[in-house]
Amino acid sequence: MAVGLRRRSPRGAPSSLIEVFRGDPPALELRGLTKRYDDGTLGVERFDLSVPDGAFFGLLGPNGAGKTTLISAVCNLIRITAGEVLVFGEPTSSLRTRRWIGLAEQDINLDRFLTVRETLLYHGGYFGMERADAEGRADEMIDLFELGAKAGVVAPKLSGGQRRRLLLARALMHRPRLIILDEPTAGVDFELRQELWSTIRRLHADGTTILLTTHYLEEAEVLCEEIALIRGGRLIARDSADGLRRHFGADTLQGVYVKAMAG
Amino acid sequence: MTGYRGLLWLARRETLRVSKLWTQTILAPVVSSILFILVFGLSLGDRIRNVGTVEYDVFIVPGLITMAMVQAAYANNASTIFQARYDRYLNDILSSPMHPWQMTLGFLIGGLYRAFTIGLALFALAVALIAVPVERPVALIAAVSLGLVLFASLGTVVGIFADSWDHTTFIANIVILPLAFVGGVFYSIDLLPSPWEEISHFNPLFYLVQAIRFGFLGESDVSIWLALGVTAALAVPAYLWAQWLFSSGRKLKA
Repeated sequence: MAVGLRRRSPRGAPSSLIEVFRGDPPALELRGLTKRYDDGTLGVERFDLSVPDGAFFGLLGPNGAGKTTLISAVCNLIRITAGEVLVFGEPTSSLRTRRWIGLAEQDINLDRFLTVRETLLYHGGYFGMERADAEGRADEMIDLFELGAKAGVVAPKLSGGQRRRLLLARALMHRPRLIILDEPTAGVDFELRQELWSTIRRLHADGTTILLTTHYLEEAEVLCEEIALIRGGRLIARDSADGLRRHFGADTLQGVYVKAMAG
Repeated sequence: MTGYRGLLWLARRETLRVSKLWTQTILAPVVSSILFILVFGLSLGDRIRNVGTVEYDVFIVPGLITMAMVQAAYANNASTIFQARYDRYLNDILSSPMHPWQMTLGFLIGGLYRAFTIGLALFALAVALIAVPVERPVALIAAVSLGLVLFASLGTVVGIFADSWDHTTFIANIVILPLAFVGGVFYSIDLLPSPWEEISHFNPLFYLVQAIRFGFLGESDVSIWLALGVTAALAVPAYLWAQWLFSSGRKLKA
């Protein structure tokens, strides 16, 4: 599968070395990001984060920790209160950067009037792809996610697993350099989860930067090179799974999570 | 170029939606408007005196076409945007590399497409049933274009602000429909006693009906320039309001 870009990341290297190997600019950089919602709720506060180009980066935290707020800020889906969001060194206010980001949201947000193939084609169109390119890429995505038998079926008539696959296919459609997956395996069965993990790993192996939020600690441990723990809109810790275990004096990532969130 | 491709695909998506739902979006309003023409025009037309120099069945056609088109333009944009917000697939558009003005225009084109299709169908049927003339085509095109921009933009704004389907239909049923009925669709305001004649001049739809009637019949209750001016004076801010909502993200982005 050809996905675009790319540099292999030095798997297993300590996070500090990962920064050195990859150089600048980072795939994602948040500088003092603050989001206060209209009702006064603080989503995130003075949040700094840098995700290196080519990383597989996990965001872990309980509901309401600020994960979706962070993602929405990166994808132009909320109005940020203060701070700066840079993608590959450019502010997300620039339209160019939006082509570099692919988002698969936690909720199934597919266009109910479009078939599987149309969903991919129209998404490609919104993101500036030429028609011939979009058609070829849509067929590629349909094959990759085994949606060929459903290519002419509208989204509401797909099964839950098929919708989840279409959501991921749509996020990859315009060949983004940074893919943001917001709990991509929430509510899916074991087989599909394994299948999605395998696809996501292949993407990363091709050099795509991946930002993953998940409630499944096992998923974060298996997939992510680095994990950031967030609580109450603030960054608690950030390291590899091994580094976090050492830092928190825990045997498992579950132990790390419990200690971090209790603190 | 990226944003322009996005605009074309968004406009295509909006017209595709109208075409896929054609029984609701096109057929139903055409049938109901034709019923109005048949019942009020052909059945009652013989018993009602001419309005000025125009036969009654011909007189009501421009107003009925106007009413059907503005309702369609409004309803289309209010429903497509509310649905996109409700199902959250609007995020796919908001996160794309399109300028806010391209998003506004892309949605607007869907409303214009639906309203023009209805208008053309009604015009063709009206010509077949009743010999409706088009005396001032340029004025007609200008009036229709301004009126549809006004009501499609209003639909966009309501679709963005609405918290439920009821909100979108409330404006259609409680504001637009009554204003259309008292906007001179079925009568000339010259026939109204005071103060109703004067009050009619505060109805924005009255001016649109007059402008479109002038385009068809070459006569209206007020000057064509006044009618076009008032419609334009409402259409421009309505469009800018819709575009400001996309630019600022208000109600679209938390």
